Amino acid sequence: MEAQRKLDAIRRRTRRRLAFSLVVLVSYFGYVLNYLPSGAFLGRRLGESQVTGSLLMFAGLIAFFILLELVFLAFNRDSRAPGEG
Amino acid sequence: MPAVRWRVAYRFALVAGPVALTAQQAPAASAIEGLVERQPLNPTAIVMFLLFVAATLLVSYWASRRTRSSQDFYTAGGEITGLQNGTAIAGDFMSAASFLGITGLVFLGGFDGLVLALGAFSAWPLMLFLLARRVRNMGSFTFIDVVSQRLERTRIRIVALSASIVVVVLYLIAQMVGAGKLIELLFGLPYELAVILVSILVLAYVTFGGMLATTWVQIIKAVLLITGVTLTAFLVLRTSGFSLDTLLRRAVENHPGGESILAAGVLFRDPVQIATILVSMVFGTLGLPHILMRLFTVPDMWEAKKSAFYASLFMGYFYLALVVVGFGAVALLYNRPEFFGPDGQLIGGSNMAAIHLATAVGGDLLTGFMSAVTFATILAVVAGLTVSGAAAISHDLYAQVICKGVPDAATELKLTRLTTVAIGVVAVILGILFENENVAFIATMPMVVAASVNFPILFLSLFWPGLTTRGAISGAVVGLVSSVALIIVGPQVWVSVLGFGKALFPYDYPALFTLPLALVVTWTVSVSDRSARAAIDRRNYHDLLIRSEYGPGDDAPEVARH
Repeated sequence: MEAQRKLDAIRRRTRRRLAFSLVVLVSYFGYVLNYLPSGAFLGRRLGESQVTGSLLMFAGLIAFFILLELVFLAFNRDSRAPGEG
Repeated sequence: MPAVRWRVAYRFALVAGPVALTAQQAPAASAIEGLVERQPLNPTAIVMFLLFVAATLLVSYWASRRTRSSQDFYTAGGEITGLQNGTAIAGDFMSAASFLGITGLVFLGGFDGLVLALGAFSAWPLMLFLLARRVRNMGSFTFIDVVSQRLERTRIRIVALSASIVVVVLYLIAQMVGAGKLIELLFGLPYELAVILVSILVLAYVTFGGMLATTWVQIIKAVLLITGVTLTAFLVLRTSGFSLDTLLRRAVENHPGGESILAAGVLFRDPVQIATILVSMVFGTLGLPHILMRLFTVPDMWEAKKSAFYASLFMGYFYLALVVVGFGAVALLYNRPEFFGPDGQLIGGSNMAAIHLATAVGGDLLTGFMSAVTFATILAVVAGLTVSGAAAISHDLYAQVICKGVPDAATELKLTRLTTVAIGVVAVILGILFENENVAFIATMPMVVAASVNFPILFLSLFWPGLTTRGAISGAVVGLVSSVALIIVGPQVWVSVLGFGKALFPYDYPALFTLPLALVVTWTVSVSDRSARAAIDRRNYHDLLIRSEYGPGDDAPEVARH
């Protein structure tokens, strides 16, 4: 019974883990858009600023990934199973 | 944009560290001697470097009194905290290439230079999500411990060990050649002396202090590097009234490429090349033995997770600061003729952009500090590699394969120290042998091999119940052979080294092709494997699953051994 509860918890965690990883990988490889014709809009400056969509994407991805990690850690802290060290 | 300038930056990035990159557009590169233009002796840099050496040697002495067993040597007794370990990981991973190479690339090509930074950073969220918990709970000293828990111990250890040694040795060659050239460049020391000096210092840290000393060397280095980059970025921003927009405007005005440097396309145009670089960087990092080994230096998987998080926090900050430093170099150096030689090239090459920028905004003092930090950076990375190489041979080969997991503890520790010395000597010999060789391809291989061999074995052994020993070995061999073969027929070896006109395979980093190939072979062989061992391997997955999530405990099932 205890083992079954643990396995259920592991399944939930694995799904969450893979979902977070998928979000990272899709966003990460989205960087290739900068080099595709369909991503030409990223090369444009934002209004009067010198900052382009490409530069914003770079900084945004780093910030987004760190935020995802924080959310992931928070989920894990909340879902610590009984008997877990 | 003169092509030669960014070729030099690429060559540096290739030889100087884990964040390695090349461009398929790069014409034939001969040797890297063109990189070096020896600078006058810099007394400030030498004084600061000596202070660093004195501090780290004291740390090594302290660590040596606490290193009494193999566990102490390999994993610092598992007593490093998550914050300390995260800082050490950042110190291990933020190489000279990250700092000098990326700044040099941004100096030459603007936004395109940042692809390296994103690739280096993005492995860390995945390390946290996918690997940190299970690797920490399943292993003891190396990632090979993890895969051999489930698969047939001797065979999988030999295969994974071979790939690890290939990665560590190639990485070490690239580091030593890069170190020799860089120190010659920054400090005006002869190449051979620089290589020997690096090796002696690393041996002093590792032989006596093991992983504990290595960890603290990496922590000290990380703090110094982040301090230096922060200071440089602050002084750069001060010149533009703390306005990033003003800084970028000045960069656009001064750079020959004008506004094009703010978007993609100056150095790279082929999206497949970018994709294959991104694959190599992210999955290569997840398979680097010396990085994975750091997960075992903490007491439990919670600290391992915190390690990955803190590492990405520090690296994220570092790479964002490099945007300011890189574009600051464009804004502040292009209009300063004193930093350019008579040939119109930046003195010392584009890799010196960060150092020249330090001179421009902080004078001799900041230049000396940044040069010393760069030297410290090399020492920290080589120390991490040396511990990892020693563990692969004395723990994975001697203790686990030859002694079948029951070695004499004293002999193992003695062998570990002897192996460390041997690695130091070999590193010097290889560093000197490869001084005038084109090592670009050698620097490419570790990331591609780690992505195509180590990562698939590790990931599938943790997440796929169907993996069998036969499948893992087949996939690893195909991953290794295809990686090496495609690099040989690619631009770096086929054109640059062998002198053929056109490469048979157009991309320098073939992991986009070799990683899926390894996965497909592993899957195909595993699902068709009907051997008795395959049944044990599949059963082991479920037996080990709870342990991989909850850690070893009294209720941990006994898995089948070979």
